[in-house]
Formats: sequence, C-alpha cells, structure tokens
Amino acid sequence: MTSTQLGAAGSEGLDSEEPHGLDETAFYREVRSFSFWFEAVEGYLEGRPHGYVPSTPDEELDPRRRERLITTLCNYCVGEAAALEGASGMVRLAPNHNSRIFMATQVADEARHLEVFLHRLGELGVTDPELEVRRRAHPSIVAFKHQLLELVDAGDWDAAVFALNVLLETLEFTVFRHHARTADVITSQILDGVVSDERRHLGFGENTLGHHLVGHPTDRTRLIEIKGHLDSLVMGALDGAYGDLGLHRGERPKLGRDYLQAVERLGILS
Amino acid sequence: MTGTSQVHQTLETDREVADDDRRTFVLDETGFKEVPKRWRRFYRHWQGEGDSLGPNEVICPVCKVVIRSTREFRPGDRVYCMPCMSRMVVVRRDDGTLEAEVTY
Ligand SMILES: [Fe+2]
Ligand SMILES: [Fe+2]
Ligand SMILES: [Zn+2]
Repeated sequence: MTSTQLGAAGSEGLDSEEPHGLDETAFYREVRSFSFWFEAVEGYLEGRPHGYVPSTPDEELDPRRRERLITTLCNYCVGEAAALEGASGMVRLAPNHNSRIFMATQVADEARHLEVFLHRLGELGVTDPELEVRRRAHPSIVAFKHQLLELVDAGDWDAAVFALNVLLETLEFTVFRHHARTADVITSQILDGVVSDERRHLGFGENTLGHHLVGHPTDRTRLIEIKGHLDSLVMGALDGAYGDLGLHRGERPKLGRDYLQAVERLGILS
Repeated sequence: MTGTSQVHQTLETDREVADDDRRTFVLDETGFKEVPKRWRRFYRHWQGEGDSLGPNEVICPVCKVVIRSTREFRPGDRVYCMPCMSRMVVVRRDDGTLEAEVTY
C-alpha cells in the first residue's frame, strides 16, 4: 500500500484494505464467519498437530515440577471440558444465526484445547488422563462447571455468555498467558495457541453482553447477582491455579486485574 | 511470539510516507498470525517492557493486542480489534496519551 492509495486522511477516508474502514455490519460479518475462523487458526496451528511443532525437543522436568504441571493441566482440562459442554449447549440457545455460527467455532476450539491438554498429560506419563483429571481437580473449578451447565440447561443465554465467555474465558486467558511465560517449551507453545483462540471467545462474550446491556440496562442487576454466586468459585479457581503454578502471594493480585477490568467495563461490579 | 528486537525492527520499517494533516504509514508484517492474511499487518503482539506504541498504534483493552492503522490515530477514530472482535473508539486520556475505549 502507498501514500497515494491512502489519499486524504478524513475520518471516513480510510482505504478499504484497512479493517478500521469497514462498517459495523461488514466487520461482524467478517469476524464471526467460518472462513475468518478457519484462516485465523490455520495461521497459528498449521503444522502443530498437538498444539506444538513436532520437532520441538521435550525438556526433562524434575519430579516436583512435573507433578505440578500435571495438576495444573488436569485443572485446565476441567475448565476446557466446561467450556466445551457449555458452548455446545449454547449453540442451541443463541438468539441469532450469527452468534450460533460463532458458538460452533468455539465448540471446535474448546474440543481442541481439551484434546491437546489430555495429550500433553499422556506425554508426561499419565496413563489414564481422565481418571487423573477427576483425582486432581480443584473443587472450585468443578463447582464452577456445574453452575455454568445449570445456566445452560436453564436456557439462560445471557447468563451463560457471562459465566462462560466473560468469567471463565477471562480467568483462562489470564492464567494461560502467565503460565506460557514460565512453562517448558512444549507446554508454552500449546498455551500460546490456546490463548489465541481464547481471545475470540472472551471478545465475543464482552461485546455480546455489552451490546445487550445497552438495550436492556436493567438486566445488569441479574448479572451482578450471578457474579455474586460465581465470584468465590472464580477466585477459588484462580487461587488454585496460582498455587499449582508455584506463584507467591505477592504476585497474585496482579493476575486478577484482567478479570476485574472486564467486569468493570460491563458495569457488572457488585 | 516475536522477540523485542524484532519489534524495534518492525517499527523502524514502518515507513512514514507523508506528513500532511495526518501522518500515514506503510505497514509491514509483524509475525502476527491470529487473523486471516489480509488483515495481519494491522495487528501485533505487545512485547512488554521495552516496547512502545507508535502514533498509529493503540492497545486493545480487551485482549491486549496492539492495533495498528495506516494513519496516525486521533481522538474519535473508530478502531476494530479483529483478534477479539471488539469495536472501539480512540480517546485522549488526561495525561495526553491515546487509548482505545470499547463501544458496545
Ligand atoms: Fe478453551
Ligand atoms: Fe474458550
Ligand atoms: Zn482485542
């Protein structure tokens, strides 16, 4: 692209090549389409059958670090199973086809996340990953999963979007990003790919709910109530994840910031 | 993810090509792959300490990706974050810095 092509820089004078020049309808049609999803995931997952480049050498982990990683991944599996089951139920609840199509892409993403974490557990020597997940799961994340699925089963789209795409996604996004910086190289590559997917999920949650609340501001009260029920579970899950990652208490509040900022932007602070 | 040195290199190769009312920029690829090819140069990963924003860049408050434009940002500009599908408007904070604020 050249400056001549760009022309005068008026507020609506952006080149059509620029995403910021799209109108709102064209933007949502683009980003919530299957082709957008397919080209995006192809960009960072091609040649990574289990979420990482196969030729990457695996690091030798000392037994304590390996144990911690297994517990961490087991808890990630609970979160991902919650997201997979929740999102698949939400395909049916979606109020329009646009959201339904997006949720279908999220189902595929969450299934992949569960698969790559289970596969990594196998590589770490866990012979029965499903059993190990049940044994090592923290009560908070398990309880959160139950609450989320209750909202889905009740057919409550707004509450389910809030619980899954705002609360759980922000929690995962925060923890995974932090963990990717300190993990062994294979786990780190897996987490980077998962984080790239979670960006779409949490963005969908915040924007869908934010848009809904503009037209239905009184629904905020109900979401604040739901947040009240789920808050301790989210914080419990966050605390469990910090402990498994071996984080000192002093480092923990910083990681809760993304979560607080997201609910604050939506005006869902209790 | 790219290293810090690559970011500096990328910023330097964003050639400033005009200096009229608003500066315009030619954007190069940044190694960002989370959107289809045609949109990739409009986004990059924030590299943490040592990284800085150009006049044509803002951070997405939702997903923390750096959003870029072919022209310098001004308050009131509409901005889209494709990686997280958010719609934003550029605002000027009290300290004079530009930020993106989510609009629903
Ligand atoms: Fe996930
Ligand atoms: Fe997700
Ligand atoms: Zn974003």
